[in-house]
Amino acid sequence: MTPPLYIALRFLTHRKRALLLSLSGVVFGVAIFICTQAQTQGFSRYFIESNIGSNGALVVRSRFRPRYEPLMVAAKNSKGTAARRLYFEGITNPNEIMRVSRQFPDVVSCSPVLRGTVSARSGFENATVELYGIDPALHAQTTDILHQLIDGNFDDFRNNTSSIIIGSRLAELLQAGVGDTVQLLAPNGEYWRFNVAAIARAGIGSIDSTRIYSHAKIAQALLQQPSGASMIIYKLRDRNRAPVLASRFESLFQHNALSWQEREESTLQLFLTLSMSVAITVSLIILLAGFGIFNVLTMSVLAKIKEIAILRSMGYRRRDISAIFLWQGALIAAAGSVIGCLLGALMTWGVSHIPIHLRGLLYTNYFLVTWDWHHYLFATFLALVAVFIASYVPARRAAQLPPVVTIRGSR
Amino acid sequence: MSAEIGLSCEHIERYLGEEEERVHALRGVSLEIETGSVHAVVGPSGCGKSSLLYILGLLDTPDAGRVLIESETVSHLTDDELAQQRSRFIGFIFQFHFLMEDFTAQENVMIPMRKLGQLTDAQMRERAAELLHGVGLGDKLRRPSRHLSGGEQQRVAIARALANDPKVILADEPTGNLDTANSERAFDLLQNLVHERGKALLLATHNPAIAEACDWIHEMKDGRIIESQHQTTRT
Repeated sequence: MTPPLYIALRFLTHRKRALLLSLSGVVFGVAIFICTQAQTQGFSRYFIESNIGSNGALVVRSRFRPRYEPLMVAAKNSKGTAARRLYFEGITNPNEIMRVSRQFPDVVSCSPVLRGTVSARSGFENATVELYGIDPALHAQTTDILHQLIDGNFDDFRNNTSSIIIGSRLAELLQAGVGDTVQLLAPNGEYWRFNVAAIARAGIGSIDSTRIYSHAKIAQALLQQPSGASMIIYKLRDRNRAPVLASRFESLFQHNALSWQEREESTLQLFLTLSMSVAITVSLIILLAGFGIFNVLTMSVLAKIKEIAILRSMGYRRRDISAIFLWQGALIAAAGSVIGCLLGALMTWGVSHIPIHLRGLLYTNYFLVTWDWHHYLFATFLALVAVFIASYVPARRAAQLPPVVTIRGSR
Repeated sequence: MSAEIGLSCEHIERYLGEEEERVHALRGVSLEIETGSVHAVVGPSGCGKSSLLYILGLLDTPDAGRVLIESETVSHLTDDELAQQRSRFIGFIFQFHFLMEDFTAQENVMIPMRKLGQLTDAQMRERAAELLHGVGLGDKLRRPSRHLSGGEQQRVAIARALANDPKVILADEPTGNLDTANSERAFDLLQNLVHERGKALLLATHNPAIAEACDWIHEMKDGRIIESQHQTTRT
């Protein structure tokens, strides 16, 4: 153990109240940072997981072709590209697009979906719903629908073309359960009768309250759509590659391709803003803890002014004196970070057990948290930086104290 | 007396304070301290005794003149090098003993040794215990320094000044804060150490009895040494 570390340890442990004050600032700063990040990101990740699990990481939809208007002059500063496209509803050749896209190593699987808006009726209840005509086998490979079922059986749906899967909130709205009949209104005014094979809960309000899955062929006939698919959804190995792949697919297939980041941009921005706002608030708490340490160490320098002069007279260099106070800060930061991380984990666990009846944007019965070691690393890093800055000034001041002035002053 | 010069200074000038408050504290002071001898600097308060001690102890730098340790000039050394010289060659004793409150008597004596870094922890403990035995505090090794009496604290300070076996001991009124019995005891201890172990001791004192017992008395006035007397020339 170096002499400055030895002295720093003694200085720290002999001022228990000051140590406790400094330590508690770091501990609570780190713990609150971890806990709040776990919460905000918990909701955000749950939304992303559920969304990708239902809608895929990437979607290819309407075909487009360039708008051939050579004389058209784009407005100044206009991005122009989108305005110069003509879109056509649906996928022209879904099987060919899926065949080619499966060659991409990033693609795990893909599934065609025929989508349309229809009216649903069950008993005396009516609702406007999004009908998703799917290939059960491909859809099960591409989405999390198998894990989303809360009642009924997917095989019953797969084996019966006149069956449907309905969203959990829609089921509540229509007061329909597994085995009940739901009628869907075709554009020609006919009601088609379907048997509810299963109920799915994606966890996202907008999906659970509107979505009905049926077999693609049946949906095509009901919706009277000439196209076999209005979109293809993709499951990717690395969801973060979705924007790159979307751009590639657009140029390759001449179909509009949308990554999940683009598709959910507004919601993700909301979560990001919330997360940043909380991070800033908690960082301020850590900075306040740093300010507390600054005060404690500054007081310590003033209290130890005689000791500093004595150490200098015994041959301790300026940097040794500086190191004594930097070590004190480092020890507080290290101990505070470790205890703070443990407390943060405990608080996160506690928060995850708080009951919350959320049925809006997301569906949850408990606070959603995420366990991410990055939060612990970042909180520790933030604490170390704050404490280093807080210790540096007093340490520097201690090193600069001319010993002879102190000794003269003590006479 | 040995002819070896442990510490010396030549033509030291030192100003203290700024502008109107500027004081010419030392005016061309030259001094040689041989090993195995005890030197006393006497004079009224403000005559420059302490300023001279701090410059000789490399705690302060002169505005002019130079300081030599074993005939080697140290005036050009950096702050870190001066600290190294203090660690190896100089032991300080102050009037107010200046012990580290959070440490025991033994740990206080070990602090200079830790800095020098030449001994193991066990060796440092053993040496600190020996030194404290030497000053009559063998039974109070583990007592926190703040729980020691004034006389005991000063004896710990003496043991600490000897921790790194320095050639030179500088003492700024080492008995100024002690009663007569403790003063005599502390001085006798220092004097014996100097003569037995061949150290050089320079002490600033107001105590005439202590000054009389020293080998040399240097009388200072207004920043100058106005008279230096060896014991043999005094009546």
